[in-house]
Amino acid sequence: MNNINDLKSLELTVGDVFSKNARLKARNVNVFYGNNKAIDNVTIDIGSKEVISFIGPSGCGKSTFLRCFNRMNDTIDTCLVQGEITIDDENIYDKKIDVVPLRARIGMVFQKPNPFPKSIYDNVAYGPRIHGLSENKEHLDVIVEESLKRAGLWQEVSDRLESPGTGLSGGQQQRLCIARAIAVSPEVILMDEPCSALDPIATARIEDLIHELGNDYSIVIVTHSMQQAARVSKRTAYFHLGKLIEVGKTKEIFTRPQHHQTEAYISGKIG
Amino acid sequence: MNNKIITPFEASNKVKRSIAKRRAKDNRLKLYGRTAICLAVCFLLILFYSIFSKGYSGFFQYYVTLDINFDRERIDPKGDLSDNSLFDGEASKIVNESLFSIIQPQGRKAKKQAKKIVSSGKDVRIARMVKNDPSLFGTTTKVKFALDDDIDSFLRGYIKRETPESERRISNKVIEYIDKLNKEGRISYEFSDYILSGSASGNPEMAGIKGAFIGSMLTLSVCLLIAFPLGVATAIYLEEVAKKNKITEFIEVNINNLAAVPSVVFGIMGLAIFISIFGMPRSIPLVGGMVLALMTLPTIIISSRAAIRAVPPSVKDAAYGIGASKLQVIFHHVIPLAMPGMLTGTIIGMAQALGETAPLLMIGMVAFIVDVPNSIVDPGTVLPVQIFMWADFAERMFIQKTSAAIIVLLGFLISMNALAVYLRKKLERRW
Amino acid sequence: MTHYYGVYSLLASLLPALGIFFIFTICDDLIFAELIKKHIPKEVVASKDYNFTIVLAQINNSVEGLIFGTPPQWVTNAAEIWISWIHKSQIITVIICISTALISGFLGYKKISGNFRSRNAVEKIVMSILAVSSVIAILTTIAIIFSVVFESIRFFALIPYDEFLFGTVWNPQFEGAERAGSGQEGLSQYGAIPLFAGTFLISIIALCVSVPVGLFSAIYLSEYATSKERAFFKPLLEILAGIPTVVYGFFAALTVAPFLRSSGSLFGLDVASESALAAGLVMGIMIIPFISSLSDDVINAVPQSLRDAGYGLGSTKNETVIKIVLPAALPGVVASIILAVSRAVGETMIVVMAAGLAANLTANPLDAVTTVTSQIVTILVGDQEFESAKTLSAFALALTLIIITLGMNFYALHVVKKYREQYE
Repeated sequence: MNNINDLKSLELTVGDVFSKNARLKARNVNVFYGNNKAIDNVTIDIGSKEVISFIGPSGCGKSTFLRCFNRMNDTIDTCLVQGEITIDDENIYDKKIDVVPLRARIGMVFQKPNPFPKSIYDNVAYGPRIHGLSENKEHLDVIVEESLKRAGLWQEVSDRLESPGTGLSGGQQQRLCIARAIAVSPEVILMDEPCSALDPIATARIEDLIHELGNDYSIVIVTHSMQQAARVSKRTAYFHLGKLIEVGKTKEIFTRPQHHQTEAYISGKIG
Repeated sequence: MNNKIITPFEASNKVKRSIAKRRAKDNRLKLYGRTAICLAVCFLLILFYSIFSKGYSGFFQYYVTLDINFDRERIDPKGDLSDNSLFDGEASKIVNESLFSIIQPQGRKAKKQAKKIVSSGKDVRIARMVKNDPSLFGTTTKVKFALDDDIDSFLRGYIKRETPESERRISNKVIEYIDKLNKEGRISYEFSDYILSGSASGNPEMAGIKGAFIGSMLTLSVCLLIAFPLGVATAIYLEEVAKKNKITEFIEVNINNLAAVPSVVFGIMGLAIFISIFGMPRSIPLVGGMVLALMTLPTIIISSRAAIRAVPPSVKDAAYGIGASKLQVIFHHVIPLAMPGMLTGTIIGMAQALGETAPLLMIGMVAFIVDVPNSIVDPGTVLPVQIFMWADFAERMFIQKTSAAIIVLLGFLISMNALAVYLRKKLERRW
Repeated sequence: MTHYYGVYSLLASLLPALGIFFIFTICDDLIFAELIKKHIPKEVVASKDYNFTIVLAQINNSVEGLIFGTPPQWVTNAAEIWISWIHKSQIITVIICISTALISGFLGYKKISGNFRSRNAVEKIVMSILAVSSVIAILTTIAIIFSVVFESIRFFALIPYDEFLFGTVWNPQFEGAERAGSGQEGLSQYGAIPLFAGTFLISIIALCVSVPVGLFSAIYLSEYATSKERAFFKPLLEILAGIPTVVYGFFAALTVAPFLRSSGSLFGLDVASESALAAGLVMGIMIIPFISSLSDDVINAVPQSLRDAGYGLGSTKNETVIKIVLPAALPGVVASIILAVSRAVGETMIVVMAAGLAANLTANPLDAVTTVTSQIVTILVGDQEFESAKTLSAFALALTLIIITLGMNFYALHVVKKYREQYE
């Protein structure tokens, strides 16, 4: 990567960054950690009910960029976001925008399963409770049940809803976290390497789940596994050193990458 | 979309409706937090203010300037400047005469009252002056004498002129005399030469912290000499030498328990073991230091262990790799690298010991001792105990002197802690 | 490694001599005390109120030159004998120490030869020195237990333990006063309930101040404060923990108590000049930093991933703290409060200076109360009468104090440990 020609060639993103029915639009986004530029001038659309994956070598900024969409970067003092990200044409970095409803609209699933040290029921009911989504206890029960069903966990836990969420296996915990995110009725779900801490069988279940959920939600998934990206997503974006190198249909990216950087990554030269 | 769950649109509306209330709640918690911190800081400020506002004036006191005729015959009848001879001399009488010549008291009773204006330490002051400088003999020199504590309190305004005479500690006549002295410009408010160089005294105007201060230093030295080597040795043993077994676990439990034992219990132990069984004398800095050493030991051990644990294993492995023995690794690598942490812990432990009072009360360091201790086996007292004793005295002036002593004590504690912070910053290593 | 030979011979000569020196200095008084028994006249021993401890104290005083009135002739004689023993034993000690040093040094020196592994020998010696110093902690614990338990057993031989634990009147009297026939025979009562109640009352007041202030400070510092605020306020709060308790006592007695008294009279309340409220308030201020910094630690130990989960679902900070962080940190917070209580229970100077000595059994914070620690101090400071129930009662109180504080400490540490394991 010390070749100057290579650096210059990174300036432009290859492929179609725009989408016809875009739900989230990022325009010229820069992210700084103190003096370090972590994201450099990224523009991309995320369509409605589409599954898109962000791939790239570790440290390329894909997770940082993901966390811009629900302003999770706000919790880090030194982090500064420039540019514009809109959801349904509302700039989420506008001063008038409150992060609380924003994050209710854009749910998130984290790398490591992080259920609250509460019962399974309370884990799922947490979101609806704080946001006041349910009318009454019965309604809350319905929400919890439906969320668990959609996350494919209902059959496994329906008889022990009061046992602690931390007692589940890793894969179950991650599905619990997905159920927890679904329970708030978000429009978009951000997933930050949701399977990196799981074994292959649990990973396969989650991937199936993501596939199903893609019918109802826009899903952005960050992954370091190309196979996973190929399996779950219709579109793929390749990041390198904070820059968005290439966006395109997953099939095309993996079979006919336009950019030589992407090609190098796909073929295993950069890792 | 399955309708059993509310739609994102509905959800988003519901969230929007609840948001104002939730934000208000959030701000309320933030406010509580701010208030709590402000309260704590206010307590701190009030504490410091109440002590500094009282203690500041404790470093000053009122003096009266008198013309003293240094007549050798009368002051030093034997002429050899010995303590005996000066004791036999008539220094007090000379001071009184000089005073009388200004305020002209009439009659025995008036004279008796007038004598009390000047502090009873007047003869000692003259004795010390002539000892330091015998050439004063034969001259008439202006000398400043401390005023009695009641007069001092009157001049500070604690005893009011308007109070009826019967309820006042000083009579109308004495007030008249003071006015007379004041008119002649003989009364001055100056930095007290007793507070720092005087020792315990029943007369508040002559009381000072020198004895207690030296006692504190002696006690602290004993404490340091015992606690530091023992603490460091224990820490090294537990971290580097001992195998993890039942015995070391038991030692650890003991150390943690000792850290939780109330300090007064250490005093009881000192009383029962060192004094009753070993037959050591009461009130001496040696015993005080030993008790405080046992008390601060857990602090030093715990922080030293943390410091040793922070030495990276790679350094030790490197030394073992070139054939160093365990002892050499410990003394050449572990101790030098862990020293800053150990020192910081020790300083904090010493600061704790310097401020400790209760255990020293138990071993009799509360005795009223006028002499400055010369060694660790001389009876003495320490600053915090001195503060405790003075706080109990009724005389108004002792309140200021106590506060002044507290300022000195706090000054030491703050500089010790600052030193610890500085050491930590300066010697901090990043691996 | 030649210098190890030198170190070895030095240690070989020094250590035995030092050991003997310590044994001699510690034991001589004990030996003398046994020997002096022969020099006490038979008629004294035979008399009814003979008490060896008192006689020994008389002789010791005489030895140290502290003479009250005119002691009997035999005391002076015994003291003279004692002094001669001290001189003799000093000489003997010095001779034995020097000769031990020479002999052992010589033996050590002889051992040194080309194939003697001095490094290993020195190593062994130093390691055992390290091991011995770590035993000091155990010895101290034993000494504490020993000094308190034995006297307590003697106390409970005089006063039944149920009377001590459940009696409601605390009125210790010197036996001398009773014997003097001041009409107070049998008035001594050792019911410790008023002391426990006073300690409890003051601790509760202290907690009322320190728990809200400390906990909210900790929440603010760990969740809301910017890193600059944190760096400024945290050390500031810790200053409160570094102030000597005698200073707090002075503050309570001379600033807070008069203030409470005057503001109380403003509302027509009669506040005692030494009130539980003044002592409790100031003690509360003192333990704020214990609660705040310990709670801060446990709150920070809650993994960031849980907070992220909360924020990711759209919680406000309030909801994250109250519904996620605090419940997760609760055991640790409770433990920190328990540790603070055990601090409050064992605290001495504030209560001695500000709470008074009146053993009132009251729940009124405006009254004067007394506590376990302040009674220990009052009884043991100054003149003590040997073997009197009053003196011994202080040890029984100390025993209760140790049991209470250590129990709380054990429990708290246990909770914290369990809590830590949960997140590791």
